[in-house]
Amino acid sequence: MVVSKKNYMYEMIRDELIDAVGRDYVGTRDADRFGHSIDYYWIPEMWHDRGMETTKPDFVVHPGSAEEVSKVMKIANQYKIPVTTWGGGSGSQGGALPIYGGIVLDTKRMNKVLKIDAESLTVTTETGIIARHLEWTVNKEGYSTMHLPASIACATIGGFLAHRGTGVLSTKWGKIEDMVMSLEVVTPTGEIINTLPVPRHASGPDLTMLYLGSEGTLGVITKVTLKIHPQPESRKFRAYLFEDFHTAMSAGADLMRSRLQPCAIRLYDETETLTHVKKVFGMDIGKGAYLVFGFDGREKIVDLQMEYAREIMEKKYKGKDLGSKGGDLWWENKYKFFYPGYMFHLPQAFGTLDTVADFAHIEKVYWAMKKAVNENFPQARFIGHFSHWYEWGCMLYARFIIEGKDVPQAADEAAALYNKVWDVAIRAAIANGGVINEHHGVGLKLGRFMKELYGNSFPLLEGIKREMDPNNIMNPGKMGFKGV
Amino acid sequence: MNIEKFQDAIKACRFCFMCRHLSGVGNVTCREADTPRIRAAFLDGVLRDKAWLSNSDFIDAIYSSDLSAACRFHCVNHFDENGLNLAARADIVEAGFAPAAVKALADSLVAKAKALKIKASGGVLYLVDFKSALVPSEAKAFGKIMKKAGVKYAEAEGGLVSKALKVLGFTAEAKEAAAALAKAINASKAEIVVTSNPAVYDELKNDMAEYGIKISAKVMHVAEYLCSLKQKFSKKVGKVFYLESDYLKNYNNAYEFPRELLKKLNAQLGFFGTNDEESYTCGEGAVVLDELKPEIVGKMAEYVKERADNGAVLAVAAPCTKAALSRVGLNALTLTELAAESL
Repeated sequence: MVVSKKNYMYEMIRDELIDAVGRDYVGTRDADRFGHSIDYYWIPEMWHDRGMETTKPDFVVHPGSAEEVSKVMKIANQYKIPVTTWGGGSGSQGGALPIYGGIVLDTKRMNKVLKIDAESLTVTTETGIIARHLEWTVNKEGYSTMHLPASIACATIGGFLAHRGTGVLSTKWGKIEDMVMSLEVVTPTGEIINTLPVPRHASGPDLTMLYLGSEGTLGVITKVTLKIHPQPESRKFRAYLFEDFHTAMSAGADLMRSRLQPCAIRLYDETETLTHVKKVFGMDIGKGAYLVFGFDGREKIVDLQMEYAREIMEKKYKGKDLGSKGGDLWWENKYKFFYPGYMFHLPQAFGTLDTVADFAHIEKVYWAMKKAVNENFPQARFIGHFSHWYEWGCMLYARFIIEGKDVPQAADEAAALYNKVWDVAIRAAIANGGVINEHHGVGLKLGRFMKELYGNSFPLLEGIKREMDPNNIMNPGKMGFKGV
Repeated sequence: MNIEKFQDAIKACRFCFMCRHLSGVGNVTCREADTPRIRAAFLDGVLRDKAWLSNSDFIDAIYSSDLSAACRFHCVNHFDENGLNLAARADIVEAGFAPAAVKALADSLVAKAKALKIKASGGVLYLVDFKSALVPSEAKAFGKIMKKAGVKYAEAEGGLVSKALKVLGFTAEAKEAAAALAKAINASKAEIVVTSNPAVYDELKNDMAEYGIKISAKVMHVAEYLCSLKQKFSKKVGKVFYLESDYLKNYNNAYEFPRELLKKLNAQLGFFGTNDEESYTCGEGAVVLDELKPEIVGKMAEYVKERADNGAVLAVAAPCTKAALSRVGLNALTLTELAAESL
């Protein structure tokens, strides 16, 4: 149903929600509803910037436990009210926006670290905890989750699980889906279930993986057990400048094919090397492609791996050694770009076109996306870096930026321009062996590409959604699924 | 409008999440409205349409901020959402939209300002402001130390409300109270003015200059003053956890002297909680948050309690923090009280 204050059922539903979670935890104030109407997606930011009314939820509910989430889900099913799960609200894809109003289920009250298991090296936590708070907690005991994304200060663990997030050390320690042991989930119909306690088994299909990346469309993840690791004895970085992006990419791919275990590799294309490296790291290194990598663990092993890696960089690819200082500056400033003063901001239009492909395709994807953006939108700049590397390929963190003077003032025209850039860039990625996203998720922004990406397997996903959420209350209209 | 002076903060903070984890109030209410991002986005709306300023829900969110300035301290470019919030409060008051509770509190503070009493001293003048007076053990501990050290001093009572009026948005009244305080201090011929309340320390150090008012005496926080004494503190105070003060650390970069004092007391300093970035002062920055929003301050104290070891001694700079933490059963002592115990 569409909730309306003019409907006499409004107060009835509000009272039921108060019964479920407590009076303090059902927000209907304008300030609360406004606060949950803008996330990190450019469109609602621009909408607000242009003085347009943003789409707000009717109720903001803060459950304190899985049991309370369950009660909310049952109420929502009873009245067929949309439920949009909100963690930190820092997603860039519009996945947490309540586009049909209804209930926003804010998970941040479920923020307790329940257990640190020093024997199995795992931590069990409620999922509303902000990632930085969890990391600080395990740090105090001498461990790390090794999940260190730029959004660590604002995103919740549940948010990362919901859209398959990643962090700067993913090359060795994995994306969030590699870190999960098991989940507790409240299903759309209000049952509280647990997935199997361990991630490696031959006991049937893996339900954990079904929920990871489901973006609040299949249930609410309320608890997780994650792997943790002892803080490494040593972590060292080194950077190189290569003649061009292709040579640097070949060097990076060779490093991965060598089966050494770098904790991070980051490669900036020539354009981003010129701008980002100078502005953010304070290094004026001239033209070329900047590549930084690092190793962590026992110092002797780190040093040995570094020695082999240097051989690849220097002997085979003739990289100019920027030394450990050139690498340390990247590590020290790894989050700096995301602060105001460095980050892109309105009136600019900008977006992160992240994708991933194997080494056989990743350069093609890069050039195809760049060509598509440059040819169709001469007013746009296209930059890119490659920040999460796998044994078989890597992630392209491409960005487009359009300066404010080239962005229409009318909100609808600005949105149309913005969406067209995504259309051409994402289709170029898919056509060349990429996918629509690597770690920010699909959300509202990319939902329209899901059918194109999945082809004839998308109806299977739709069938799963229908079966699990018969009343279609969970985050409707996202990930390409049916709206209300 | 006052907020127009903070357009850079509005533009920087309105869509920024980078200090989200340090929202002292947001971390206990879990409301997005209690974060710098949403307050700045709302004030961005006010710049476009002044009618937004009359929205009582948003006004409530503005007055719920703990003004710890942890966000500004953390921010790479130190954008001043804190100053923006203060400017918004001034705009709310000037537009006549101050909530009844805020207005009543301000009226009571203006009445208190008239009760200012300062006796001529010529030496050390110890200010007992209205918040510190609620923790009588603080002035008592200071008196004990001064007696032992053989230093005579005079006490100033009543008044000392300028900072509280300022954070409520009553700028003209705050300036008037500050001017009266400065006049009385200057007339007293005091050479050193000592305060236990970091908010008053900030008022004397920074607000006075902002108002163009000069104070002839040297201004010191009590911890800084006790460090300067030749008095020895011989009893070891044992293990303590020092909770940073908003006004000392985040507003004045005064990170060292509380530690210097604890070192002088032979304290074994423990690391509280999991980090040194969050504010655990329970609303010290907002001065009267405990009167305006006692339920929020209660939640903030519980937040600290969840992070404290059983029976741990928590050393705090501000008497109001001690009061809030004591209410939830924590063993909190001010730096002055610890020093007095160490005599």
